[in-house]
Amino acid sequence: MVTIKRILYVLGILALILGLYGFYNRLFIGERDVNYGSYVTWGLWVAMYLFFAGVASGSYMVAALDYLFGVKLFKGLGKYALWSAMVTLPAALISIGMDLGHMERVWKVYLQPNLTSLLAQMVWGYTIFGAVIVISLVLAARQKEGTSWALKVMAAIGFVLAIFVSGGVGALLGVNASRAVWHVGLLPAQFPIFSLATGTALLLTIVSFFGAANDPQREGRQRALGVITIVLLLVKTYILWSDFSMSLYSGVPQNVQAINEVLYGTYWWSFWILQIFLGTVVPIVVLLVPAWAKNRILSGLIGVLVLIGFAAARANIVFPALTIPELQGLAEAFTGPHLNFDYFPSLMEWSVTIGVVGLSTLAYLIGIDRLPFLKTQAEVA
Amino acid sequence: MTEPQGTSSIDAGLNRRSFLRKLAGAGGAAVALQALDQLAADPAQALASYEAQIQELSSTSGGDLSKLDVLERMRRELVRALEKPPEERRWVMVIDLRKCVGCHACTIACVAENRLPPGVVYRPVLEEEWGVYPNVGRRFVPRPCMQCDKPPCTPVCPVNATYKNVDGVVVVDYDQCIGCRACLTACPYGARTSDFGLTYNEPNPVADGLIAGRTVAEGYERAPSFEYGEARPRQERTSPIGNARKCHFCLHRIAVGELPACVTTCIGRATLFGDANDPASLVAEMIAQPNVIRLKEELGTEPRVYYLL
Repeated sequence: MVTIKRILYVLGILALILGLYGFYNRLFIGERDVNYGSYVTWGLWVAMYLFFAGVASGSYMVAALDYLFGVKLFKGLGKYALWSAMVTLPAALISIGMDLGHMERVWKVYLQPNLTSLLAQMVWGYTIFGAVIVISLVLAARQKEGTSWALKVMAAIGFVLAIFVSGGVGALLGVNASRAVWHVGLLPAQFPIFSLATGTALLLTIVSFFGAANDPQREGRQRALGVITIVLLLVKTYILWSDFSMSLYSGVPQNVQAINEVLYGTYWWSFWILQIFLGTVVPIVVLLVPAWAKNRILSGLIGVLVLIGFAAARANIVFPALTIPELQGLAEAFTGPHLNFDYFPSLMEWSVTIGVVGLSTLAYLIGIDRLPFLKTQAEVA
Repeated sequence: MTEPQGTSSIDAGLNRRSFLRKLAGAGGAAVALQALDQLAADPAQALASYEAQIQELSSTSGGDLSKLDVLERMRRELVRALEKPPEERRWVMVIDLRKCVGCHACTIACVAENRLPPGVVYRPVLEEEWGVYPNVGRRFVPRPCMQCDKPPCTPVCPVNATYKNVDGVVVVDYDQCIGCRACLTACPYGARTSDFGLTYNEPNPVADGLIAGRTVAEGYERAPSFEYGEARPRQERTSPIGNARKCHFCLHRIAVGELPACVTTCIGRATLFGDANDPASLVAEMIAQPNVIRLKEELGTEPRVYYLL
């Protein structure tokens, strides 16, 4: 598996290099070259914020299986899940930070907040969550045998917080009563499930790619994570079905338009190919066949596919609702840059996102290679 | 060139302005035309004379403002409303869709007044079409900010940068806004836009000595806007660049007794503005009509912009 690690290092560095253009453009020029605007107000970076924040909270939930619930099969895996949370949370924060028109004023959310705003609650929530991850990691690094009570308490706090903050980003969209397709109670409820699914998929990749070759439990862990992934993918598909069928059946025009945009719109392929075929059908099929599921490369790649599928799913939640004009004729009434209802991320937006993926990949790899408490088991591979 | 016989007598007795004056007859229009005559000669005196004549007209009509042009009536009502404590007045806008011809003058006046850059618009005019040929209909719907009494855009702001001010107008504190666009997403009317830092002039080529326009135009684009009563020259990466922006009923004009720019430029007098708490005001009269509607009433946002059908 050393080869895979090398490949990932190379890919991570390449992604980071590709990201330099986007980072430079955003930090030194501004938001001129983005394709989101005043009508499609939130674009790729917000979708990636939801995705990475979901992976971070999902990873913490998985870590809790070890530190809080003491599941024997996952013993020793908690710290890798915690490290995943540690590298994906900053990815989320960079993504959303880039999206702010005045990122230098973010301190105002701490010192002059409107705490009834979900956005402010999320900034505070994720800051506390970040602190909980760091403290949990420190405690996990120090522990010798068994789980200390301090880590257990921290894991309990972090577990509950992970559910709330991942649900909170769903509510961030859901509270917008004027966006019919978001404004359903199901939206914030499904986000923690999405998060857990991505956390599980990431750990599946980690165990498959970097799990110790001589670890007798590796195969069992791989299998267990595979089964959990299948179950969560099925739950996700059911939620998607109930959401879409309810909207289409009730026939509220704004809802129907948004769902049709996802199913048959310009970017139908991101739903049918990325989200459903590669992100759901292929993983379920592969993980159901024991011989394939045992294959380390294959199950590791399946974890990556599931992650890509969920990233597409987040985008398919965010964009389509915003591509429906609030009023008839608004799209044509006054035209200009950033006044479009069609959205596809610009080169700069892609560049930033690729750079962020590269950064978190490299951070993860450097962590398991250099941090002593992570190195011990990973290096056995 | 020899003039046809008789034209000199026409010139003497009926020049263009006096013809128009006669055509317009008595009332506010004639007063306005007289004022135009004097304006060219001595603007200060012209204004004083105009005020005096308006005063005389309204006193001879028993103080009945309804005899005046609606613009003058609304201006007077505005001045009257400004004498009240802010919390006792209720600014509303009434847009008569039967009178709107879709000229977009209000949109452009707003852009000029607030020096809006590309991609920022406060008051687009929507064109709605319905029916199937030959039974089709069409109307123009100007869409300023609705200044909702229950605005969905303000509670979502993480730093209280947008709120209803003491006048009940939804405002944005440009120095507080972090540019998250949550308020844009929450607005059911698409009435907020974000300033991405563009200028109209920027894409134009520069050739020293050949294109003088760019320098001049750039000066115009960088000149300060006076939104919220603050002079803000347009500078790179400085607010309002990066901020949410929206219609504010031209608060900076109201403060000095002037009507919003979109109201004064409406050629059909389709846009009316005033204090709905003043029962004698034109807007109070209009919103009591049975043909009045508000957009997306079902959302419960309680807009302060009314439409007459």
